[in-house]
Amino acid sequence: MRPILLQGHERSLTQIKYNKDGDLLFSTAKDHVVCVWYSVNGERVGTYNGHVGALWTVDIDPTTTLLATGSADNTIRLWDVQTGKQLKKWEFPTAVKRVEFSEDGTLLLAVTEQRMGYLGTVVVFPITVDVEAEQADDPNFTITFRESKATVAAWSYLNKYIITGHEDGRVSQYDGKTGEFSRDAQAHELDMPITDIQMAPDRTYFITCSKDKTAKILDVNELKVLKTYVTDTPLNTAALTPKKDFVILGGGQEARDVTTTSQRQGKFEARFYHKIFEDEIGRVKGHFGPLNTIAVHPQGAGYASGGEDGYVRVHHFDRPYFDFAYEVEKMKG
Amino acid sequence: MPDLPSSRANWADDEEFDDPSVLPPQQVVNNPDGTKTVITYRFNDNGKKVKTTRKIRTTIVKEHVNPRVAERKEWAKFGAEKGHSRGPDLSTTSVGENIIFRPSTNWKSTSKEDNAEENKLKDQLKDKKVACRICKGDHFTARCPFKDTLPPLDDGAGAIGGSGGGSYVAPHLRGKKGAGESMPGSGGSYRDRDDLATLRVTNVSELAEEGDLRDMFERFGRVTRVFLAKDRDTGRAKGFAFISYVDRSDAARACERMDGYGFRHLILRVEFAKRS
Repeated sequence: MRPILLQGHERSLTQIKYNKDGDLLFSTAKDHVVCVWYSVNGERVGTYNGHVGALWTVDIDPTTTLLATGSADNTIRLWDVQTGKQLKKWEFPTAVKRVEFSEDGTLLLAVTEQRMGYLGTVVVFPITVDVEAEQADDPNFTITFRESKATVAAWSYLNKYIITGHEDGRVSQYDGKTGEFSRDAQAHELDMPITDIQMAPDRTYFITCSKDKTAKILDVNELKVLKTYVTDTPLNTAALTPKKDFVILGGGQEARDVTTTSQRQGKFEARFYHKIFEDEIGRVKGHFGPLNTIAVHPQGAGYASGGEDGYVRVHHFDRPYFDFAYEVEKMKG
Repeated sequence: MPDLPSSRANWADDEEFDDPSVLPPQQVVNNPDGTKTVITYRFNDNGKKVKTTRKIRTTIVKEHVNPRVAERKEWAKFGAEKGHSRGPDLSTTSVGENIIFRPSTNWKSTSKEDNAEENKLKDQLKDKKVACRICKGDHFTARCPFKDTLPPLDDGAGAIGGSGGGSYVAPHLRGKKGAGESMPGSGGSYRDRDDLATLRVTNVSELAEEGDLRDMFERFGRVTRVFLAKDRDTGRAKGFAFISYVDRSDAARACERMDGYGFRHLILRVEFAKRS
């Protein structure tokens, strides 16, 4: 497995995403540019220029027409994927930490930061998936968090729920149509922020990870913890792999402590766990800073990781990865 | 290959090729095994003619691509990449080292082989116990409570007499019946070396070298050993040294003369080394 290194960013990566067909890879970093790459050969197709603050998040609609980005310049911007033209800008009082399109691309949720007296919110915008169309200025609804702010959020199947992960380790479920609170669960340790949430391909369950050094799979309806993966390092990102029943976890020592220890102790590796058996089955080295974000190819052909070191490493899985199976899995045939 | 003799110039003709600015035309030869041999000529940077022979095998690989993906493959570049040609740019894209990734259930045990060497050393040292040379207690010799009252035991000698080999025997003990006899006052010689004719020199310049000290102290008699303590990281002297003489009287003379001697802007302090 020979990784492709992408050096388009000057600062640490914040999020990377594949589009639905898996041929394009979008990356955002704390510099002010969004990059798009061909995932197969690592060729940079273009950049989306316009943001004037660190970028926190990116998402791509299912048809690869529109790109949404959220930034610390307190804006969400919508871009034409093909030309890099900015189509729309929504302004907020605080930074935008997470954006995500719904399954059908008609809704966009955004998590805004709690800061300077403003409470953290989740806003949901209607989207017309067309480059020419005029996008709505006002959100459908806003969810405001009075207790603990949301750090991440995601859409469930059929836009039924919005799942939010919170700074205090809770996971909450809100109605996807009205934004009404329905339930919550203390999935992770108290006061350990949830750092990532990624939905399974069918959006009936999702994986969260936290600074409490664990990653968990929860189901969307009941918020019941189905699986727990225990590691020895704070986690920044977790992803589910299609095709094979694995999860990939990334993290490492806090970025601010990195200079005090050697690379070996930093634990800057992508960890592979078996999704069902919860065992660690391997690690992939490479980054020399903590991993901030991992994205898995939607067809399961590979994965990409972005690190605090400013690199994106794109991996294409090879034979042993696909051949690996537990004895019981082999017996099943 | 019927055209081969006619198209390829004789090497002798090459010599007479007068006009150096004209290159022979490219030759393509179809080999019987399905490959193609392409011979091209060009001038290199030094103006010399270079002949390149390439053997090419063409294989056709059919690939089915999603039409949406195929269409995106043709997109024009934009943003910072605007106007750049097709293909990965070396300034942004590079290929990393090959990573061997073999998922396995006993991943933890296989990964340990990576630092097997480190572990081996650890294992070796695990069974190692600190043994005092004086009383054989489990502390360092320097910490021995009897170090001022007892001479060190020589267990190497005992091993020779007892087991008759297997363990390490110092060269000067080999071929002798028992070291105990050969070194009647083993404690005495030990003390001789360290105690009687060794000077401790302090306030030595950081820039001092062992050679400098040897030169200075050899004036008073034969020096057997010069030890200058150096910092492991910086390689600079730590500021003290030990000088051993063969003869104690030489050492005494040196001590007297060199104490207070100015060396590299510092005044040396010389005294007899104390056992510690």
